[in-house]
Amino acid sequence: MLCLFLTLFLPLLSSFFSFSTPDRYSWLIILIAPFLLLLTAVFSLIVIFSCWNNTAGLIRIPWISLSDASISANIFLENTTLLMASVVSVVSFLVHLYSVGYMAGDGNPRKYFGMLGFFTFAMQGIVLADNLLVLFIFWELVGFSSYILIGHWSEKTQAGKAATKAFLFNRVGDAAFLIGLMVIWDTTGTFEISTINTSATFEWQTFAGLCIFGGVIGKSAQFPLFTWLPDAMEGPTPVSALIHAATMVAAGVYLLIRVFPLFSETALMVIAVTGAVTAFAGALAALFQFDIKKVLAYSTISQLGLMILTIGMGGVYAGLLHLFAHAFFKACLFLSAGSVIHSLHQAQRRDQHHFDVQDLRNMGGLRKNLPVTFLTFTISGASLAGIPFFSGFLSKEAMYTALLKDNTTFSLAVFVVMAIVSFLTVLYTFRLIWFIFMDDSRKPSALPVVEVPMIMRIPTALLAASSIWIIVSLNPFNFFGWIVTDRSNAPSIWLTIFSVMWVAVALVMAYMRFRKPSFLPNEFIADAFKIDVAYDFAIKRSSEKLATTVEFSDQRIIDKAIHASAYGHVIFAHVIGWFDKYIVDGLVHFVSSIIRWVGGIARSYQNGKIQDYILYAILALIIFIIWAL
Amino acid sequence: MNSLILMILLGALLFSIGAMIIVMKKNAIMMLLGIELMLNASNINLVAFNRFYPTRMDGQMFALFVILVAVCETAIGLALILRVYQYYQTSIPENINELKG
Amino acid sequence: MQNILSFLILVPLLGSLAALLIPSKKVSAFRWLALGAVCVQLVLFVLLLRNYQPEIGLQFIEQRLWISLDLGSWGVLKADYLLGVDGMSLPLVGLSIFIMLIACISSWHTLSNVKGYFSLLLLLNASIIGTFTAVDFLLFYLFFEFMLLPMFFLIGIWGGARREYASIKFFLYTLLGSILILIVLIGLYLSVNDPSGAGGLVHTFNMIHMANPANYISNTILDPNNMITIGPLSARAWAFLFLFFGFAIKLPMVPLHTWLPDAHVDASTPVSIILAALLLKIGAYGLLRIVYPIFPEAAVQFSTMVAVFGVVSILYGALAAMASKDLKRMIAYSSVSHMGFVLLGLASVTTEGVTGAVYQMLSHGILSGMLFILAGVLYDRTADRSIRNYSGLASKMPLYFVTVLIAFFASLGLPAFSGFIAEVMVLLGAFKSNAHNGLIHESLAVLATIGLIFGAAYFLWAIQRMFFGPFDVKGVAKKLELPDLDNRELLMLIPPCIITFIFGVYPQPLLDFINPFASDFVNHVITQAKILSAHP
Repeated sequence: MLCLFLTLFLPLLSSFFSFSTPDRYSWLIILIAPFLLLLTAVFSLIVIFSCWNNTAGLIRIPWISLSDASISANIFLENTTLLMASVVSVVSFLVHLYSVGYMAGDGNPRKYFGMLGFFTFAMQGIVLADNLLVLFIFWELVGFSSYILIGHWSEKTQAGKAATKAFLFNRVGDAAFLIGLMVIWDTTGTFEISTINTSATFEWQTFAGLCIFGGVIGKSAQFPLFTWLPDAMEGPTPVSALIHAATMVAAGVYLLIRVFPLFSETALMVIAVTGAVTAFAGALAALFQFDIKKVLAYSTISQLGLMILTIGMGGVYAGLLHLFAHAFFKACLFLSAGSVIHSLHQAQRRDQHHFDVQDLRNMGGLRKNLPVTFLTFTISGASLAGIPFFSGFLSKEAMYTALLKDNTTFSLAVFVVMAIVSFLTVLYTFRLIWFIFMDDSRKPSALPVVEVPMIMRIPTALLAASSIWIIVSLNPFNFFGWIVTDRSNAPSIWLTIFSVMWVAVALVMAYMRFRKPSFLPNEFIADAFKIDVAYDFAIKRSSEKLATTVEFSDQRIIDKAIHASAYGHVIFAHVIGWFDKYIVDGLVHFVSSIIRWVGGIARSYQNGKIQDYILYAILALIIFIIWAL
Repeated sequence: MNSLILMILLGALLFSIGAMIIVMKKNAIMMLLGIELMLNASNINLVAFNRFYPTRMDGQMFALFVILVAVCETAIGLALILRVYQYYQTSIPENINELKG
Repeated sequence: MQNILSFLILVPLLGSLAALLIPSKKVSAFRWLALGAVCVQLVLFVLLLRNYQPEIGLQFIEQRLWISLDLGSWGVLKADYLLGVDGMSLPLVGLSIFIMLIACISSWHTLSNVKGYFSLLLLLNASIIGTFTAVDFLLFYLFFEFMLLPMFFLIGIWGGARREYASIKFFLYTLLGSILILIVLIGLYLSVNDPSGAGGLVHTFNMIHMANPANYISNTILDPNNMITIGPLSARAWAFLFLFFGFAIKLPMVPLHTWLPDAHVDASTPVSIILAALLLKIGAYGLLRIVYPIFPEAAVQFSTMVAVFGVVSILYGALAAMASKDLKRMIAYSSVSHMGFVLLGLASVTTEGVTGAVYQMLSHGILSGMLFILAGVLYDRTADRSIRNYSGLASKMPLYFVTVLIAFFASLGLPAFSGFIAEVMVLLGAFKSNAHNGLIHESLAVLATIGLIFGAAYFLWAIQRMFFGPFDVKGVAKKLELPDLDNRELLMLIPPCIITFIFGVYPQPLLDFINPFASDFVNHVITQAKILSAHP
């Protein structure tokens, strides 16, 4: 229990610590932050060893209570959560360690390690939360830390653009997720996953499931929202390893696993198709990239697509297994790629020689300069390609098995897609390794490339060690082990043979194709089928157009109307003023002048002459007398 | 012609002359004289009517009364005119226009 | 303890009078006087908070006879000096005091005519607190109108380039709203009888009496038991519409919002803070306190209209913000967008929606204050607010970058900040409404969610343009130094950061105030509407 909370909050502590350390003592951060993460990893392993295979538990933490509803931030404990939590903390620890070397000399270690720690905390939050709303909160928070970390080098304009794009694409998915949450709240009145999963079906379920899947599309970079992930490679490479390969993008897959019972048949079908499209598109695009990190990014997209496809076909355990294996080997690939970039960068700095250190076309024959990196890269690459004796082979086998479980046309079609994607995976992995490490012809020989420091080699080596088959099961050809224990999903021997043969064929083909250095650029595929251009055109332009229209309407229509009415008022006021001045006032003047005139007449009799007065009196008397007569 | 009517006509004549004097004469003293004339015209009337009721002395009494009042009035009037004359150096009312608006 | 609300109003009022007695040369005396007055208010507010009991509705009631005029056969005209607070107004009073404190600090370096400035500021303070605590409609209206005067001068004298235009626009717009309110005020006065008047006819302005249909004099113009029809609608529906639009101008609601960007752009920073953080809330407050409780059946009848206006405000405000080139203008439009959520939550008449609406009022009060301080920080340094003239500020002003990040992300609804809680509650309520009470359709909530995406877009683009990339400043500000935040600015910025964070992570303390109010409100509106619309 305590260990669990430590697992959750130690990264936050690390983040706090990093942010609050004054600039002068920033060297402290690179000691303390990895140490705290080491503790996190240790505690998470303690938790997983003590609670593995226990019955699912719930730790209740009240959060919000309204008069007729309450939302609590419960923690759910189960094998899946425990597994994911320990993957997150272990990978995060290794990335912290690696970053100490990679980010040495960076101007702002406080921000970097602070956000890395914060990310780990938020990711643990996603993993442990039993409440969809709380999960959503952490879900957005990982997006936020990803935003900051992608934009870590804020002087680069591209980094800012990539960060904005990543957050916005995620936001689109999150909006869908939020709509899903609204539907669930409306129909079930609760956000607790454990309750939702066990509740009966309800109206709108397909819609709710699809909306939540929308969130997954954003976060896990699925078709059609996947283009942010390659751009996100603008961030530091360890960040790409942790966030954009091992954990955050996998959070979408994890969410699918957690709320799997929510999805209806139709929803699952959509999920599977989306996964298949993404897997294929990603693998194809990876084959045509020249930026070393972008190859890996598209590979990540493709692998995530495979996981989602499998889950869409009902193979939750297989998806989880691949998620687990992928976290290690993909993190290892990224860190190894980071080592390559780092060492080339250092060499370039020493040599004052300028070229793009991430471009495959500038590399070759580096295996002698970077033996350790070559080894780790190859091991993890082998795992990615699904070569026997590596974890990727087993997880792929599990996925094949899951797809073939029910014999329908649809599942067969999906199986074919998956086989093609695996084939492509082998191709691009081979291409990547061959171009970087073998092929001596393009070797940047003039450069004194030397191996990266020990602190970067250790985490890479550890991750490479986690990419072999033992991590999944003892038998290198059977994925039964400590993660998949349900023996009803047994793989058939034919499938294993097929899988081995298929990889062998692919390897041979790759060797034939890429032995000689040949680059065939295909801009259309390399730019992810120009989908970004379409977005730019369809969404960005149109929303900008809409925005200017709105501004126009604000200033030209509403304000003009206001002004017109104001002018109308003024004109009316002038009319009223004229009326007042000439008609009303004229009347008043007229009346007063009459009175004045009459008064003048009357006054003329009051001339102060006594005799006149007497005369008037006498005349009056005479008139009265005559009257009386 | 009845003597009474003659009397009354005389009174009326005197009264009218008095009134005309008041209205037309410029000098205040002359106006005072006009007032005297009018008072005496009414005295003539009183006395004339009294002739028809010899037993009653009301007419004579009134005439005496009027003469008395006329004397007082003349005394006060002359005194006022004298004061006015001292102050304004004129006894013509038309020239005294200090209160004119 | 009894008269604590009166003291809250009197303290700034007396401060304002005292400011008139100090010779105008003693510049710093005015600052300390204003700050002192607000600090006294803060102490009073803490006292108020400690004695508040969430389970009772309206409390700290102060009733004094104010106007009582016997009109013979026309009854008695009666208006009371009636104050009170409940779960909605208490947090708003707290917000007002907090914002006033920030505004005082923010106006510390006001140069011209300090005496007039601070006395007007205190006057504004008194009338805002008065508006939030008045329970008598006439008293409310008095304070409501009285607010205009200091605001008009604060914009018109201490404002920017087009200050006359802005202040007159502001004045005319709000005056129009006030007239609409006044009409209904008179109608209500004619129709409502004070039940404590012992049989005799006593016209009253008491809002509590107005909310009870039993208190209406039969066959009067706004009698809910025997509706009079004028044109296509009943008289009560007209009254609702008048009041609604009257307050919606203040809110502001699209298309009655164009005074806001102009007023903000030309007002000085502290005035902008008060305008956005407090004055906009008064519109929403009026809707919650007056319009809905008094005209529940019309509110239900027009709920779709209100919700549509809310959604339009959300989307329109966000789009207009996206097109703005001026930082302050962008923030002003974001206010329009955020206040749309208040309208949407209100229209749903669900506990979640109303709670979210009130929460949004508070959250937006704090966040918009912060945003305007931040815009002011930049303007103080360079006198230039166009977004495109800056780039790469992140490396030059790191602290400023951090605060901008917090404020912008909190405003775009990042979880762990108060805005998220508010928006989620509003959306949950709005979505639930159709199934729950059948007022507004789900699609409106879905459309409002799109507003969240736009909201993220303009804030992120602004950050991207201003803070990322290589450092460069164009235009007038090119030669100027750009120092990072100083201590005074940090003093203004850190408290709202902390508050929005606390209320985003643990909203329960605030919900304990708001939620009882919201459920009473929903209960009242729904049941009364049902009863009243059942009448022939």
